[in-house]
Amino acid sequence: MDHRLYFVLGDLFANLLAGAIVGLLCWLIVSPGWNMFVAMIVMMMIGMLIATVLWIPCSVLFGAMEVMVPMMLSGMVSGMVISMSLAMEQLSAATCFSFGAICGLASIVVVWVLNSAMRGTEPVRWR
Amino acid sequence: MPDVITQAKWDKAAPSFDIMASKGAEERWLPAKRELFSHMGDGKILFLALGTGLDIAAFPTGRNITAIDISPKMLEVAADRIEGYDGSIDARVMDVHEMDFEDDSFDQIYTSCTFCSVPNPVAGLKALKRVLKADGVLRMFEHTGSNFYPFKLMMTLMTQISRKLGPDMNRTTVANVKAAGFEVTEVNNLFLDVVKTIQARKAP
Repeated sequence: MDHRLYFVLGDLFANLLAGAIVGLLCWLIVSPGWNMFVAMIVMMMIGMLIATVLWIPCSVLFGAMEVMVPMMLSGMVSGMVISMSLAMEQLSAATCFSFGAICGLASIVVVWVLNSAMRGTEPVRWR
Repeated sequence: MPDVITQAKWDKAAPSFDIMASKGAEERWLPAKRELFSHMGDGKILFLALGTGLDIAAFPTGRNITAIDISPKMLEVAADRIEGYDGSIDARVMDVHEMDFEDDSFDQIYTSCTFCSVPNPVAGLKALKRVLKADGVLRMFEHTGSNFYPFKLMMTLMTQISRKLGPDMNRTTVANVKAAGFEVTEVNNLFLDVVKTIQARKAP
């Protein structure tokens, strides 16, 4: 992860936003009675697309790939988790918004952990 | 004759390019680019795809740089930055696939977020190899695709949209550098395996 506070806060903001917005979108689209698998696939794809749109203004402020990849993951995970939950039971908009933000937070933390593992010079034998 | 389709794409992007790219991405990448470009030596340097000149802020001073870009509009936007550089930048409109430099012209070649956009990346890299001196060094700051799911899937999907307006997001640039005949000496991942620097040499 970038250690500069501006970018840490920017990453958190962007991914919380993506997760929350996609969660809210799931609430608008999915209802109990949907096939859970169908709901998951549809909202994963829509979540990724919406996160990509949200990435555009965020990229101006916070960066390109470092913002796009986690946001798309946040959109995908939020879409998947919230839609599957909504297919099982009706949830409030606030719940979907909040849980979506938590999915975004989890996604950026995962990316930070993976990035810590992958950063640095690749071993010669793997190039 | 230059690739007019690619030229038109980047001419169209030129007026708004700095709005998208100049703050977030460039501030984020500045330390890594400064470190990469600090290796610019005293010999002849080629910088590929200068664009609007955002990378000039990371150049060390006092260097003798030949910079090319396929888009004349991009170089128009870069004019003030070129003028303000404390050194020499000879900026020319040129397609990397049709460079009119002699063989073995340059001691070092640098690229920055370029080979996500070059239409024929291996051909472009072979052209760079032609104009690089034996034992010369190619240093690249690039974003590529990822080898890991789900990032690989996401970036392949994103490329279907992004390539119409700008770069591909799923290029295999390290493999392309090898395919062009360079010896890759270092790959340094800066963000996942997506944003990286690549160092390669043209074997004598």
